[in-house]
Amino acid sequence: MRAENRFTLFLIPSRGAHVTEPDVLVIGGGPAGLSAAVEAARAGLAVELVEQRETIGGAIYRQPIPGANPMPQAAAAKARWNTLSRAFAESRVATRHASVFLGVEADGLVLVDDRRSGRVACLRPKAVVLATGAVETVHPRPGWHLAGVSTVGGLQVMMKERGRAPQGRVLLAGNGPLLIAAAAQMARLGNPPIAVVEAGDPLRRVCGGARMLRFPGLLREAGRYLIDMRRSRVPWLRGTRLAGIEREGEAFSILLEDARGTRRLKADRVALHDGIRPNDFGLPPDHRGAAPGPLVLRAGDCREALGVLAAEADGRRAGRLVAQHLSGKAKDVAEAERVIARNRGAQATLAELFAPLPGTMPFEDLPDHTVLCRCEGKTVGDLRALCSRPDRLTGREVKHNGRFAMGSCQGRFCAANTAALMARMHPAAPPPVPEDLTGRRWPARPVSIGSLVQAASQDNEMTDEVHK
Amino acid sequence: MKRATFSWLGRDVPFLEGESIASALDAAGLVSFGPGMVAGDTRYFCGIGACQGCLVRVNGVVREACLAPASAQSLVEPLDHDAGGKPLHTFPHPVAGGTRD
Repeated sequence: MRAENRFTLFLIPSRGAHVTEPDVLVIGGGPAGLSAAVEAARAGLAVELVEQRETIGGAIYRQPIPGANPMPQAAAAKARWNTLSRAFAESRVATRHASVFLGVEADGLVLVDDRRSGRVACLRPKAVVLATGAVETVHPRPGWHLAGVSTVGGLQVMMKERGRAPQGRVLLAGNGPLLIAAAAQMARLGNPPIAVVEAGDPLRRVCGGARMLRFPGLLREAGRYLIDMRRSRVPWLRGTRLAGIEREGEAFSILLEDARGTRRLKADRVALHDGIRPNDFGLPPDHRGAAPGPLVLRAGDCREALGVLAAEADGRRAGRLVAQHLSGKAKDVAEAERVIARNRGAQATLAELFAPLPGTMPFEDLPDHTVLCRCEGKTVGDLRALCSRPDRLTGREVKHNGRFAMGSCQGRFCAANTAALMARMHPAAPPPVPEDLTGRRWPARPVSIGSLVQAASQDNEMTDEVHK
Repeated sequence: MKRATFSWLGRDVPFLEGESIASALDAAGLVSFGPGMVAGDTRYFCGIGACQGCLVRVNGVVREACLAPASAQSLVEPLDHDAGGKPLHTFPHPVAGGTRD
């Protein structure tokens, strides 16, 4: 473990009977977490699941609220959710809803922020499966930070929750297949986007297209999205970059660039998406050694962002590995690993197919006023000023001196962009990685100091009683 | 039947049972969630509790609007207001979890 992980909350390590002790604590109620919980419970282990929302399903299977129209979705996806949610219900795994995982402190206590009670729960499981999913990549563009601009995934989960398309003129922009999926879903809910702006041009990538034939399920899905878009006459502006968003009265004026030049569109809302990456910020590293503290395993998109099918398989894998570790009996994970490998191939093919065209690349010609770090209000110009000094700054120094990746999103939306821009400014130097900026330590999410102090003092009181 | 509401800046915002605060504000046509962040207003962005861009005060407690379920009679306010509506200092709220060392 690196030094910065040795961060102890309590002076006296607690061994009190008040500490709840499930065998396995699973963090996250998406496909990876649910399938990990089901597998571990099948092996006879006492499992608890920690979920930040009041419902399970994660972003991909976000459930409609009672009375809302379920968003029309493919039969295969519906069947997968039915199977998984039934298996989870039958496993009788207890779920801590409205609870947020904070971290594993140096003595091995797992801290969970219970938002209903406002208290931090301290747990001492034998194993922890981290299944915190993915976060979307959003490249910096002038105006991306304005109210009325969201991620495409954010727009999509709200549609799933409420069964209603976002209102007004909506523009989707960025890169990748999620854009056409969201466009088709908006069309089915009655308000198609005014256009989909795509940096790549999958229709021109013949080799990638040929490789897609190996994944007929994905091809069928993409075909359905494109048919729905065509029916609603949604333009798919490929090889195009959204170069800026400006407020104009109540609406946005949006600057688009492609090989032929620039033009402007008006929209009421914009949703951006440039891919996904693991939501592994502040997570403890995998830990399977003999050292004290629980076994820690990652599963699903937070280990490797490969989408829902791989996530469910990876959850099975993690659940079985935990059972193997705790019971000493060998478990078969070959099937799960085959599914993961196949989906790794599918994602690589999709990435090739959607590769941005030259001239649409992110980070090129960004004006100085472009916001990079929204939490701290730091711009591309601020970073350029910091990095133009004769003594080259490390990622850590850029954070400490410039406040990049220092705010409450903990670098989830700026650390990778800042590192990429730093690499462009100093092409000869070894490129910084996002973790150089963020560091790696708990809490994995902001928590009120009051709740932490309460947990600490409560813990010490109980420990004192035990010692009497 | 009368819909349940919560209070937002003197306005009653209706919501459906189980709906998040962010979804209810959005359905009411509210895009900005008021002052609160250095680079601009708080607002809905990622929908999964990751970006911390939609923080509001729910009965005085800072919560992500995209995660917190709407509840009847609760008082929901922009981040930069305390219960009396007077502006607070600019740092959003006392937290551990900025990644500063």
